[in-house]
Amino acid sequence: MVAATVLAAGGASAIPVARAAAAIAAPAAAAPRVDVPVPANERVTLPNGLRLILVPRHGIPLVACNLLLRGGALLDPPGRDGTAALAADLLTHGAGARDAYAFADAVEGAGGNLDAAAHAEYIQVQGQFLARDSRLMLELLADAVLRPRFDAEEFDKLRERRIEEIKAAKDSQPEALLGNYGRALLFAGHPYGDAVGGSEAALARLTRADVARYYAAQSGADRAILVIAGDFDPARVRADVEAVFGGWRRAAAPLPPLPASARVHGRRLLLVDSPGSAQTYIWMANVGVPRHYALRPALNIANLALGGSFGSLLNRELRVKAGLTYDASSRFTRGLVAGEFAISTFTQTDKSAQALQLALDTLAGFKHDGLDAAATDAARNYLLGQYPLAFETPFDWAVALGDLDFYGLPESYIGHFGSDLVATDAAAIHQVIDDAFPSPADLDIVLIGDAAKIRDSLSAFGPVTTMPLSAPEFAPAPADR
Amino acid sequence: MRRAAVACSVAALLVMAVLPRAAEAAAAPMSFAATGEAIQTRTLANGLQVIVWPDHNIPSVALFNWVRVGSRNEGTGTTGLAHFFEHMMFNGTTHHPRGEFTRLIESNGGSDNAFTSQDVTVYEDWFPRSALELVLQLESDRLANLAFEPQVVEKEREVVYSERRLRVEDSSPAFLSEQVQATAFIAHPYRIPTIGWPSDIKAWTLADLENFYHTWYAPNHCTLVLVGDVEPAQVFALVEKYYGPIPGGPATSPVRTVEPEQTGERRLVIERNGQNPLVQVAWHAMPADDPRAPALNLLQTILTEGDAARLHRALVEERKLAVGVGSGWSEGFDPNLYSVYATLPEGGSSQAFEQALNAEIAKLLDQGVTAAELSRAKHQVAASFWRGVSTIDGKARLLGEYAVLHGDYRKLFAAPDAYERVSAADVLAVARDVFKPAHRTVGVLVPRAATSGP
Repeated sequence: MVAATVLAAGGASAIPVARAAAAIAAPAAAAPRVDVPVPANERVTLPNGLRLILVPRHGIPLVACNLLLRGGALLDPPGRDGTAALAADLLTHGAGARDAYAFADAVEGAGGNLDAAAHAEYIQVQGQFLARDSRLMLELLADAVLRPRFDAEEFDKLRERRIEEIKAAKDSQPEALLGNYGRALLFAGHPYGDAVGGSEAALARLTRADVARYYAAQSGADRAILVIAGDFDPARVRADVEAVFGGWRRAAAPLPPLPASARVHGRRLLLVDSPGSAQTYIWMANVGVPRHYALRPALNIANLALGGSFGSLLNRELRVKAGLTYDASSRFTRGLVAGEFAISTFTQTDKSAQALQLALDTLAGFKHDGLDAAATDAARNYLLGQYPLAFETPFDWAVALGDLDFYGLPESYIGHFGSDLVATDAAAIHQVIDDAFPSPADLDIVLIGDAAKIRDSLSAFGPVTTMPLSAPEFAPAPADR
Repeated sequence: MRRAAVACSVAALLVMAVLPRAAEAAAAPMSFAATGEAIQTRTLANGLQVIVWPDHNIPSVALFNWVRVGSRNEGTGTTGLAHFFEHMMFNGTTHHPRGEFTRLIESNGGSDNAFTSQDVTVYEDWFPRSALELVLQLESDRLANLAFEPQVVEKEREVVYSERRLRVEDSSPAFLSEQVQATAFIAHPYRIPTIGWPSDIKAWTLADLENFYHTWYAPNHCTLVLVGDVEPAQVFALVEKYYGPIPGGPATSPVRTVEPEQTGERRLVIERNGQNPLVQVAWHAMPADDPRAPALNLLQTILTEGDAARLHRALVEERKLAVGVGSGWSEGFDPNLYSVYATLPEGGSSQAFEQALNAEIAKLLDQGVTAAELSRAKHQVAASFWRGVSTIDGKARLLGEYAVLHGDYRKLFAAPDAYERVSAADVLAVARDVFKPAHRTVGVLVPRAATSGP
């Protein structure tokens, strides 16, 4: 019943919308048709394998760095989630001649920032300093990645703090943890299933030796990409980089291959019990497509239309028409292999089943109806108009060019994106909706909410496993499975 | 906020601003003042202020409409109305049905959002230059011709309540902050939570909404800031075309209530489901345009910005009494609070944290700050200032803040000198003005094992 209603609404909506557009007296705004030019940059590979990209951009007196180190949380030892995350944390908490305090004093005393964090596939160190301090920035960066101290006291403090931060997130932002529970279910047995930052239990098991061993094996110049962008003299900075990074050795071991990820069939529900929660936070996903997906412009258009903007289908159905939520959205996470496509939303406790059903129906309608020409053009124009805003500052370019190099993507991935959007046809959109978006019958679904009040209403959607929000892992204990 | 940017990383949670962060301005190289020379302004006959900063780095434009109304302009029974309006402004006019605003903006390459504070409501659009006229037409239309359909109001009531559940009821730090604010102020409307009390969200009438709209949504209460790939002459002509015909609204009554001086510490305790105790200590501070503002912002940086900050080092690193500590000053038209807030480890002692915080404050009031701390803070605000003016979005935000909350956008370009001139003695003096025990409110959140029900 509900599905049929939504399909009708979704199918009909394009017509009145198109009429309204023709009727209004709005001045005709020519659709933007621009590519964003990639700034001139200089690339060099040092003898030790370090890939260096220099992007001089003058104007604002700032200089940015972005260093990517292949490996990341994928290489956490089994049961030791959070190893790479803690290693990354510690890089900037004591390195070279400076202990943690002296290091922070040097960075912040110059008005700079330098932060390291692990991601699934790499460790990333990013910073930004006043232009006059570019040499200091490089020296501190080199100390952090070449000579981290891994002081025992700093290890103890940071490990404890990260554990407490997970607990605090449960009290303050439960929706931020949905992906950790969801990926543990969806990618069980695959490295993508492990929480990058670790779980409370895994962090509690970690030792300083685990972290030091990880970093000794998994770091090296041949694993690294370094991008410097902003207001600097390329010749001088290149010489500085050669001076401070030239002695970095290659990694001790080759990178192990990453296994492919596999889609799930059928539906499973994980209910994470948060007694007294005012709302239920909902995430539903299946494995999507990798970074090197050939139909990426069509994928961007299709996801924008489904759940990528305020005016998208999911937000219109769940928020604007039904008043069930403040936000409903969808996104792809695309890595070296296929990550997840996920829809997320939230609603008041007694509307949980209704919101879940409406999200599933909206996905079903999208899969069935596809996008008509008007909706495709609207999404395309939105992307054309918005994407220059992502490439405004030198820091933006440091991030973007590092990302392209990491995934082996050409500059045209950004520089020709506008033209690629314009060239995308209905057949590509159709293929993407068929191929990359899951059927609503094949989803892993996570709900964080008050289980006593919503469990019974969920059993119609599939088998439900329940675990407490206070549990120290992001997956149910074996007894609960 | 009309729409949340949901933070994904757990590490980011503790530094997320529960309270408004102190505005950042800076010591800066000489070239900065010249950067603003291209700015042009106009005031229309109906009172609309327009500020244009051309910037041709990218082919895009940021348009912010700063409306000088916030929750400080609300009263008992209608709390949350300013924020509710922020939502209603996306819900259709007599010319464009509900959904058309967003559909037209997005299908022409633009995006939009809005936020409400205790002092202002700000509408934001980011779009390609080709959409300039369309955006001005749509923005002026909703300023003049908003529609009030009862069924739309009822749907939006549910959306706003969902936002309240997300931001306040399922968030311990925000829940505590709301109670501290309501305790520290007994008279001035800064006691009102911007999102509104639950009973008021449920009870507003259509007449309340229409009255609020006709009182506040008029050109003479707005400052329109445009930054990006535009020419001022072109902007002024289009603004005149679309906003010129809108009549100015009546003068509004000022917020008359002055908060009486607090004469003794206030304390409150909240028990809630959860794992980590929280502490927030708030002192009455000064309004945004106070001459001591640069000194207080530098003090805020010295105390809690970064790993080298004084309170982080003392309370998180050394004593391990908290897993995160932050502070912020709410800069508004009227004197608002300076707060220190902390997340304690599970089982942590709020008394021990408070004692250690008090000892740090006492040391600060006795010995002041060091030359190294002051130098670090000046460098930090300089760098964050340059980061702020690196984007059209940041420029539109800074121009609006200075034009509206500080009374003149040109003060933005005087800020570098003002920050550079601050001495350690100035910082000590402002610390002594603010950190008075009789002016503070202490809020403690005590977690209890999770139980179902309210």
